[in-house]
This record gives sequence, C-alpha cells and structure tokens, in this order.
Amino acid sequence: EDCFLEEKRFKQYCEEFIKHSQQIGDGWEWRTSKDLGDGYLSKTHFQVRNRNIPRDLKEKNNDNIERTLFTDVEEPLDDSQTAGVCATEEVIRYEYHVLYSNSYQVPVLYFRACFLDGRPLTLEEIWKSVHACYQARLLEGPWDTITQQEHPLLGQPFFVLHPCRTNEFMSSVLSSSRKHSRYTNYIILWLSTVGPVVGLNLPLSYA
Amino acid sequence: MTDDKDVLRDVWFGRIPTCFTLYQDEITEREAEPYYLLLPRISYLTLVTDKVKKHFQKVMRQEEVSEIWFEYEGTPLKWHYPIGLLFDLHASNTALPWSITVHFKNFPEKDLLHCHSKDVIEAHFMASIKEADALKHKSQVINEMQKKDHKQLWMGLQNDKFEQFWAINRKLMEYPPEDSGFRYIPFRIYQATTERPFIQKLFRPIASGGQLHTLGDLLKDVCPSAITPEDGEQKTQVMIHGIEPMLETPIQWLSEHMSYPDNFLHISIIPRPTD
Repeated sequence: EDCFLEEKRFKQYCEEFIKHSQQIGDGWEWRTSKDLGDGYLSKTHFQVRNRNIPRDLKEKNNDNIERTLFTDVEEPLDDSQTAGVCATEEVIRYEYHVLYSNSYQVPVLYFRACFLDGRPLTLEEIWKSVHACYQARLLEGPWDTITQQEHPLLGQPFFVLHPCRTNEFMSSVLSSSRKHSRYTNYIILWLSTVGPVVGLNLPLSYA
Repeated sequence: MTDDKDVLRDVWFGRIPTCFTLYQDEITEREAEPYYLLLPRISYLTLVTDKVKKHFQKVMRQEEVSEIWFEYEGTPLKWHYPIGLLFDLHASNTALPWSITVHFKNFPEKDLLHCHSKDVIEAHFMASIKEADALKHKSQVINEMQKKDHKQLWMGLQNDKFEQFWAINRKLMEYPPEDSGFRYIPFRIYQATTERPFIQKLFRPIASGGQLHTLGDLLKDVCPSAITPEDGEQKTQVMIHGIEPMLETPIQWLSEHMSYPDNFLHISIIPRPTD
C-alpha cells in the first residue's frame, strides 16, 4: 500500500492540525516562505532542566526523578517566570518545524535548541536530554540518525530526524488505523510517533 | 564534436585557483603567509583543506585553534555546498585567484553546519546521493547497491579517482529502456540574494507528449524571474560549473553529464556583469 503523502494532502492535514492546536492553545502555527509560498508547521516552547543534581538528592526524590532529570513545562515561560528560575536550573528554548520533503514525499521534523543567552545546544547535549526510554527507540528506530542539516527554507543549521524510512513505519500505523475505520490525519499519527523522541509531546486530544 | 564522456572528465577535473589568508584578528606567534591551492570544483572545502589548516596552525598557539571555517567578503562559506557552487554563486565574475579568509575562532553557529570529522562530510555526501536517487529511481538503484559500492563512491571523491567513482556512478545514471529518462531531475537553484537558500521542486525530464524538457523549461517552471528579461535585457546569468549552458539543452542530458558527484545539478543564478 502506498503510504506516500502528497504535498496537497500534507497542507490539508496541517490545516486541521493547526485548527485543533488553536482550540487547545498548543502553540503551533503555520509559516510560509515569502517568495514561493511553501509552508511549514512551527512551534516554540521552553523547558526547564536541572543541572548536576547531587546523588543523595536524586535518591530522596525518587518520585520526582522525572522532574529532576527532564522537566516538561507545557506553558511557555514569560520573562518574569524565567527570571525566577534558580541557578541550578537552566531554560532551554526548543523550536520545532515540520516541513514537507518533495524528494521522499513525507513530512520531516527539524528542530533546534538554545539556552536563553543564545548559545545553541550541541547534538550531544540534545541526545542527553532525550528521555531514557526513547534513547533505545532512537537507536533502533526507522531513521538512520539525527544529524545537523541546513533548513531548506531558512538556510540555518537545524537538527533533523532522517525521513528515508518514514514510509516504512507509517504504513503499519496507517493500515491499522484504517482497519478500524478511524479518520486518519497523517501528520498527527506521524508526529505523535516521532515527536516524543526529541522532547515534543502531543496532547491526547489531537487523536 | 566533443564526446559526452569528455564532458564528464572536464566537470570532474575543474579547478579554482584559491588564495587562503588568515583572518587578521587571529592571534599568531609569527606572521602568517597566505597559502595557495587549486581547489577541485566538485569537492567540499573541509575535505580538501587539511594542508591549509596545517599551514596556519604552525604559526598559532594550540589554545587559539578551534574549528576551522572559511569566509569570502564577510560571507561564511557553507562547507556542505560543493566548492564550484560556492565560487559560481559568490565570486565567479571577480578576478582570480579566489581570496578566501580562514578563521579558527567565533564559529558562526547560526550560519554554518559543524564539521568535526571526515565522517560528517561522508554522511552528508551519501545523504545527497540517496536523495537524488529517490528522485530519479524511487531509491531502487541506490538500495540495490552493496555497502562497498557506496564506499567506492565516497572514496572516489575523496581520493580524486574519476574511474573508480564512475564505475559505480554510471549505474545511478541509467534508466529503464521503456522510459526516456529519470523519474524526476535532482536539481537545486541558488541565488545569493534570497533568504531561501535554494529552490528544489519536482520536475520531470520528459513532457507528457514525449518531448525532452530543456533547461529553459525548468527555469520557466520553477524560477521564471531568472530568464524573463526586464525591459528586454537579460539581467542574470544561469551558471553550472562555471559555464552558461544553452537554455535549449535537454535537462535529462544535463542531469547525466553535468551533475556534481552528489548527483545533483547545482545551478547558480547570478547578476550578469555590466561591463
């Protein structure tokens, strides 16, 4: 079964996706390039991360392990909140873009992260911030790796999950969904699978 | 009449005389002499400048040396673009040698990809080849090849071995006898003046009636401003490997003979010199 995504359909699915995002205040927007009208999904959010928590503190807060290692702050922090973050925590700005690849006829996830002072995170630092259970998935996943590439519309360095085997894993996801006659929005299915690997979560209401 | 295979050799062996100068703010223990080198048009800056790096590191202290990067007249040069493309796009109508400035500090994170090892260049090169084959053959040819064939493409480029490279690359230039060409043409069109780094779209080499599409057809379709003359005068040049191919050239032929080793046609649209 051909699970390639045509560009027109990509744009339609993105439109629906944006509508829902607006309804729940999830922060996604559609951006277009000025000259040719190519567009992409974009979302920016901030995350707070603790640095160098001493060993005994980690053990004491077992139920808070997730918070101490990698905290998800769903609401964007404004300046006043950021100032209140203490010295052992750092705020990281993540930017996610979903673009369409003509060559592979699939969506592609581009992302970058930087500290508030503008210093970008290296790939190693981003790898480390991926939740442990997803690190295993990343190693075996239907993508060769995460690499740094030039953003095709902005011309700036971004990290990218490689698209060449997207079709493979999407075909099984899509066919099981269609079997149950559920309406399938390719973008929602795809993003809910690849997103968490790089710290991007979709609220359940998208389904 | 030039044989088509001669074109392949001319493209492969194209060179650009270049003068590398150390950025004046870099801290040195002695004066740094400029370094001259003939750069292969079809290769990548970070693949062919080991000697440049060594030359300048000799006059610098170890702690002053971080990742090398190159700049031309204030513009950081993207190492992941082939050298010939960078020259055509930024300096083709200026006097030779091409003057490039070498930096070892203040890496421009917002403009350039990092290149910490040759593996990064290889990964980038192979990713381009794979993408080109996705367009030409739905990835069938590249996926049928063994790992050692992929390695041979890279080694051919790295060691400047034309025969070794083309022994494998010729398979990527074939197409089924019932077709007249590739499925889509791998190409990118660059203009230094736009924010968008390049234009890349799906384009078939053969029209529905069976005629061969030309370079002019491609431009008309994806970048009409490049060939529509304003007030009757052609303000731009369409350049590939330092020459302006005739717009009547079939794009299928261009793809087979004037692609870079990554199998893409990298086309520059530049201002026509006024003199």
